[in-house]
Parts: sequence; structure tokens; C-alpha cells
Amino acid sequence: MKSLQIAATGMAAQQMRVDVISNNIANMSTAAYRPRTAEFSDLMYQQHLTPGTITSQVGTVVPAGIQLGTGVKPSTVSMEITQGSLRQTGAELDIAIDGTGFLEVTLPSGEPAFTRDGKLNRSADGEVVTKDGYPLADGIIIPEDARRISISPDGEVVAYFENESAGQPIGNISLVRFVNEKGLEAMGDNMFRETEASGAANRLVPSSEGVGMLRQGFLEDSGVDVVKEISDLIEAQRGYELNSKVITAADEMLAATTRVR
Amino acid sequence: MSNAVYAALTRQSGLMQEMQLVANNLANSSTTGYKTDRAVFAEFLAGNGQDTEHVSMGGIGGHKFDLEQGGLKFTGGKFDLAIQGEGFFLVDTPDGARLTRAGHFQLSQEGRLIDAQGNPVLNPAGGAILIPEEVGDVSIAGDGTISSDGIILGQVGIVRPEGEMTRAGNTSFNAPGGFAPVEEPRLVQGALEQSNVSPVLEVARMIEVQRAYEAGQAVLEREDERVSRFIETLRQL
Repeated sequence: MKSLQIAATGMAAQQMRVDVISNNIANMSTAAYRPRTAEFSDLMYQQHLTPGTITSQVGTVVPAGIQLGTGVKPSTVSMEITQGSLRQTGAELDIAIDGTGFLEVTLPSGEPAFTRDGKLNRSADGEVVTKDGYPLADGIIIPEDARRISISPDGEVVAYFENESAGQPIGNISLVRFVNEKGLEAMGDNMFRETEASGAANRLVPSSEGVGMLRQGFLEDSGVDVVKEISDLIEAQRGYELNSKVITAADEMLAATTRVR
Repeated sequence: MSNAVYAALTRQSGLMQEMQLVANNLANSSTTGYKTDRAVFAEFLAGNGQDTEHVSMGGIGGHKFDLEQGGLKFTGGKFDLAIQGEGFFLVDTPDGARLTRAGHFQLSQEGRLIDAQGNPVLNPAGGAILIPEEVGDVSIAGDGTISSDGIILGQVGIVRPEGEMTRAGNTSFNAPGGFAPVEEPRLVQGALEQSNVSPVLEVARMIEVQRAYEAGQAVLEREDERVSRFIETLRQL
């Protein structure tokens, strides 16, 4: 009896949806987190009576036939491209990206990774690093005696020193854009990796050619909308229950069959 | 075996198939762009010769989809599209053009508009839709026109099938009779069409099927008793 397996695919799908939602809710305070959504599609159909089968000498055909579905499968879990709200922190090395784009980070292996989490720090050598200590690919080193750092919306980093009113430019932070941001591979720690589907990384100057601008002293909040997540959670839970009801009903039908001698 | 048993059996196997259909509808109650399936039962006559008994049998004779509009869910996604009213998106799969209402699209690495399986979405002329990388905000108008900063980049094709459609999996349909463009399509950007499965109707249908199945089993039991009593009576003669 197929109904049992079909309902099981339905339950598995709703279960996966709950997993995705719970991960979103767990990350409701993660800087620059982008919520994920699970999407589903139906499985293939069994052809019991193919539409278009000839039913008579005069050429009449079966209009719709009998195609029985076999359940549901997850098609994608995609990242929603949303801009989280910007929160003022006042810290001079906190930068938020207002618009599209990612900061490029160099991993210890030398590979590039991409993030929107702009909580930056200074390493022991004065290098600008992420909260995990990975340096920005732009390689900005802040001189030890710098009194203050200013980062302009187009990425220019200027250091100010004691007894000097004019600042000295010490580097530029660039932003990286992808054709298909949804194709990036999440690797945890708020970082992403370039893939075949995302397209090649394209380095641009912030506030130009449609990429976002940098805002010093701000951080991007998580893009999770808790109210939406909770209503989705309720929907997923009810969907799960409905599919379990199908299993009960199918089981009772089978029980009726076995009762016949 | 007696004819009553055969008639009951066709009914039972038809109900089993309908249960499968209901289960599939409920399993797809969260599938974007899914359309509810309905079974159509038909009667057929068995043994309609001159000197034989006529028995009417029932079974699934066909099925149809309920093409009613599903609710729109606003996601805010740039390439999440929903059709309001008539029409389907056209995607170019390896098996040929398929029609779908699931408008969860994205861009490929070359900037082509693709569906969740990576198949290109087609424009009214049947070509792929390319969106250049350097454009900023893309807006998609009600008639499918894609534009950015006042420059028209292309159009999403919306078609109507000619003749019957069959299901092709992945929430898509095959239209063997071909398709024609919809004259005045209405698209909504930033929304997805939810499954049009009504859980209340499906559960009611499921209970109906289950009870009908139990009733059918009762018929089989009675018939079984009748035949055994008949044999018993014959034995005592």
C-alpha cells in the first residue's frame, strides 16, 4: 500500500522544514545571518493509464488518464537575500554592508571565504581580522600609534595620529559580489565559500556599480523575522500531523483487509 | 467466485488508489505551486454478452487537477514570482519544455534565470532570460517585463496549455498539445504561490475513503458467509 510511504515522505519533508525553521530561530541574534527556506516539489508519477491512449476505432483518446503521485521531496533550501537592520555599536572597526556584497576573508589554508559579518578586530600585529582572527583579504594593517581609524562608505581606511590633523590613507576595503548569492556554500562561522553555482567572485569598490556601501560603527542584525518563523513552524507542525493521520487511516484500511477471512 | 465479490474488489482497489492520491495531496500541502489531484470514478460493464449476466464495476477512470489559485506567500525574494490567475511559467528541461506554477527562481553563474532544478526559465519567444551582472535592483512587472533602472532586460513568458496536461514531477506539467501565450498575465514579484491543497477537504475525503473501504470489506464478509451457508445447505441435502 503506497499511501503509507507517501505519508512518510510528507512527514520527512515537514520534519526537514522544522529543522530549517529551528536553525533560523536559533540564529535570530547572529550578526548578518540570512534566513533559509525549505522548498519542496512533488515526486514522479506512476502511470496507470497513460493520457492519450486510444480508446476506440474512431480515434477517441483518454483525456486525463490515471497518474498516481508518489509523494514529496525537498527541492532546495535556499538563502533569503534580505538586508538585516543596522544596529549602531559605535565601535570603530564594526562595519555593516548596506546593500549587496560580501567582505573577503583569507582562511588559514590560504583559501578565500566571504562574510557579511563586519565585527572586525585588530590582531597583535595591527592587522584587521574577523572575530575568528582571519585577516581581511585586503590586507589592512593599522599602525600602532594610530589614534583613530575612519572607514568611508566607499571603503577607504584612513588613520589619524597624535599631533596631526590630516589623516593618512592606509588601505581600501573592497566588497565582493556574486551573480547568484544563493549558490554560495555556507561553511559556518557566518562564512561562505564560492561554488560553481554562485559564479566567480567579483571584487568591486563599495558604493559603486550596484554594490552596497560600508557603514562604520554599525553591525548588520540577523535577517530572521521571528513572527514569520513561528507561523511557519505552526504550519509545519500541522502538516506533520496531517500526514501522520494518513498513516493511521491507511493502517486501519489494512487492518480491515486482514479482518476478512 | 461470485460476481458480487468481483464488483466489491474493483471498488476496493479503486479506493486504495484514491487513498494514494489523498496521501499525495497531503504530502504536498507545503509544495510551492502544487495543484490538488482529484480522482474520477467510472463505471464499466463486465460480461455484456447476450446470454451472460451484466455486472457493473467501478474503478478510477481518470483524474483531474484542481487548477484553483493557491494562496500567495510573500517572501520578498527578488526572483520569487507568483502568477495570479491563468497561466504557467515555461521552463526548458532536458525532456523538453515543461509548464510550472512554482516560481522559486534564481540566477545561474552566467546570470541566466533558472528554476530550483537548474532549468532555464523561458521568455515568450522561447529563449533563456539573461540578466547582466552589473545591474542593481531588478524589478519584474505584472506582465513579466524585467527591468532595471528604466532599462528593459527581458520578459518572463507566461503560457496557457492547449489541450490536456499531464504531470511530470518536480511540480511541473507536460502539455503534449502545445501551449500559447497568455494575453494579459498577472505576475507578483516577491511572492510564491502556495500549494492549493485544502487540508480540511483532504482529511474529509480520507475519512470517506477509509469508511467506504471498511464498508466494502463488510460486503466481502457477508458474501463469504452467504456462500459458505449455501455450501453448508447443499451438504445437508
